[in-house]
Amino acid sequence: MNLVATLGAAALLTALAAAVVAILASVVAIRRHGPARHDPTAVAVARRAVFAVAGLTSLAFALLWYALMTNDFAIAHVASVSSTNMRPVMKLASLWSGQPGSLLFWTWMMSLWMAAFAWFTLPKMSWGAPHALGTIGAVIASFLVALVFFASPFRLSPITPADGQGLNPLLVDPGMLIHPPFLLTGLVSTVIPFVIGATALMAGRLDNAWVRHARGWALGSFVVLSVGNILGGWWAYTVLGWGGYWGWDPVENSAILPLLPLTAFLHSVIVQERRGMLKSWNLVLVLAAFALAVFGTFNVRSGLVASVHSFAQSEVGPFFLVLLGLVVLASVALMAWRLPMLRAEYEFESLASRETGLILNTYVLVAMALVILGGTLFPVFSELFRDVRVTVGPPFYNDVVGPLLIVTLLLMALGTVLPWRRATPGLLRRRFVLPLAVTAVGLVALAVLGMRDIFALAGMAGVLLVAAVTLREYAIGTRAVRTARGVSWPAAFGALFNRDPRRYGGYLVHLGVIVMAVAVIATNVYQDRTRVLVSPGETFEAGGYEFEFHDLATRRPGVDGIEVDIVAQVTVRRDDRVVANLEPGRRFFTNFPDQPVAIVAVDGSLRRDLYLFVQGWDNERLTEIQAFVNPLQQWLWIGAGVYVAGGLLAFAPFRSRRPVEVESSAPSGAQPV
Amino acid sequence: MTRTPGPFRLVALALAALALAAGALLLAPERASAQVPPTEEQAQAIERQLLCPICTNERLDVCSIAICNDMKRIIRERLAAGSSPDDIMLFFEGRYGQKVRADLKAEGFNLWLYGWIGASVLAVAAAGSWYLLSLQRRTRPAVEGASMHQPPSGDGNETPDDAWLDEQINSGEDRES
Repeated sequence: MNLVATLGAAALLTALAAAVVAILASVVAIRRHGPARHDPTAVAVARRAVFAVAGLTSLAFALLWYALMTNDFAIAHVASVSSTNMRPVMKLASLWSGQPGSLLFWTWMMSLWMAAFAWFTLPKMSWGAPHALGTIGAVIASFLVALVFFASPFRLSPITPADGQGLNPLLVDPGMLIHPPFLLTGLVSTVIPFVIGATALMAGRLDNAWVRHARGWALGSFVVLSVGNILGGWWAYTVLGWGGYWGWDPVENSAILPLLPLTAFLHSVIVQERRGMLKSWNLVLVLAAFALAVFGTFNVRSGLVASVHSFAQSEVGPFFLVLLGLVVLASVALMAWRLPMLRAEYEFESLASRETGLILNTYVLVAMALVILGGTLFPVFSELFRDVRVTVGPPFYNDVVGPLLIVTLLLMALGTVLPWRRATPGLLRRRFVLPLAVTAVGLVALAVLGMRDIFALAGMAGVLLVAAVTLREYAIGTRAVRTARGVSWPAAFGALFNRDPRRYGGYLVHLGVIVMAVAVIATNVYQDRTRVLVSPGETFEAGGYEFEFHDLATRRPGVDGIEVDIVAQVTVRRDDRVVANLEPGRRFFTNFPDQPVAIVAVDGSLRRDLYLFVQGWDNERLTEIQAFVNPLQQWLWIGAGVYVAGGLLAFAPFRSRRPVEVESSAPSGAQPV
Repeated sequence: MTRTPGPFRLVALALAALALAAGALLLAPERASAQVPPTEEQAQAIERQLLCPICTNERLDVCSIAICNDMKRIIRERLAAGSSPDDIMLFFEGRYGQKVRADLKAEGFNLWLYGWIGASVLAVAAAGSWYLLSLQRRTRPAVEGASMHQPPSGDGNETPDDAWLDEQINSGEDRES
């Protein structure tokens, strides 16, 4: 008997039992005392059951890690994703790679988020505690069923191999230590706003109470999911070796899809708080974010849409399809049931108001989500209905999503510049003249400098407008605080974030977005690509640089299943000055001889990235090298840093500033559930 | 009913002027890039429109497996023999199926996708306009003194935004005007 495998399987099975206890106890709590007061004992039991699930899945996760560290190849999953010569640090990547591993990580992370929610937020929303705990129990139980019955990470191999197969070559990269955890964590974290929204619907508590609790969790989810997506782009850029960072691959699309309704929610929630509008829309957005996260999981697991990321396919696909169907059905049914209670407390005064800007922007984000979803699923329909395999690739998305992104930028400026309720013509003129003038001057300057591409110019118009509008907001805010308090400029600027962190942190996210937009425009429109065949000693030119190819060299790291690295030694010069010595190449793995991966060599600066990779060579060492000059590439990561910093600033004070809930009886109109 | 078309017209005019300026600039002649011989540039342009028939979602120009190297060779041979880029794309499509095209042809069944895109955008736009217009129809006239909407019901102890800051900013802007 394998002790680790037995203990692990037992932990997961017990966790499933605890999840079922949470569901049953919630039902008892609701049944026994009606909607206004729930049975406190039953609620406490359900809450502790949620903590138990988190503890047990943590145990299972720790056991799998232990099995990987001790090379316990009797466990099939361990044998399939690790080998004796892998460094301990890379075994972390093995932990969440492959089907069962990533599913265990997903479930473990979800149970931790749920426990945190049950610990911090649940005591403040006693109006819906059993509904929330029941929903949590149902969701986590579904994933545990998948883990226990369909993809157990503790299944034993029929024969214990002497050594494991090792990690999939594409995953043997330090990026794999941080990208998947962030992405998976971001995806699972959408469950908390979903639980809160569903609770509000079930408990019939549809005022602003649920929104106040959901927005902090949604913001946290937004930040983590954004980081996951950004790290994904970074991994693609440094590992996949095609010169870009975003390929509109079905799995990339799945990862970004939940982010769109989540972003929309963070904006439309402000309208509900300020104006009492968009109540049902906000619910739709949180429900949709989680449904899309489950869709993403299903998409990756099932291999439904062929993808470069399909290294985790298995038979759990149909199970997730059923789960997705249940989530969507339950959401629609709940919404339909409570629709009569979701009337807005209208006080809409003018179309020329910030409300309009924010509402329109949420619509564009949702339209974008629908477009990406359509593009992602279309190959499936094409194969289903007429048996033809098609690819919906970057040209399609660039044509369709590109313009929507530009509209988003323009609306971002509009939502920032317009005041709440109504704008008088005088105010509009005052607020718009400067930003429009800056935009016009900037565009003319760019055109004079040689920018001709219509996409680039339209994008830059949006960028300049948002920049001017946002910086103006910071300026007038700082000046107002300075005048009122008589403090210095820096102190007044700092005080802005203290007084209204969500607004000014949010503006920082906007600034991050436009810095990233500049990088996206530059790298898409002005990338310089050169492909050459060179013999040792020859030179070639690309983007104003001279590249000298010395020779091919061999390296043997001797770890992580790597057989050999073959690299091209290249010296880069500009005006006879050495800029960089780069070693792009290809990496070959012992257990995956026909899956060599690219070794990308990058010399980065604020102005441009020199990005080299080797495509192949012949017996005469005639080597095919691709050289990309990616202008302003580093600004993508800098902008991402600003974006994340803004998100964190908006998020950080949410706990200390959150008002204490005053217990009140159930609102009128609430119905027993 | 409140109408404030003035500022919108102003903004629309400004945007239209910008669009015109951008359009005029586009008429200016393109700078020719003459680094690569025309056929090689053409060949690489075709490569970028094709995908590897075996690897999933990998562009032909960055793929280095044998079949892709063959395809790259064929592209150059056919270009040299006088084939047009469209002919070459059709050739590979006939050989490996539509999945090797990076772009989706806007014809036949594929139009459903474009229909979906159009319908999504239109539906969202229509729903949005209807919602905003219906809100405006229900508008209550602004009442002097009752300027700020009170947070709806709930616990009444929330401050969604910093009202003090808003006041300071607004009074600063009023002084400015």
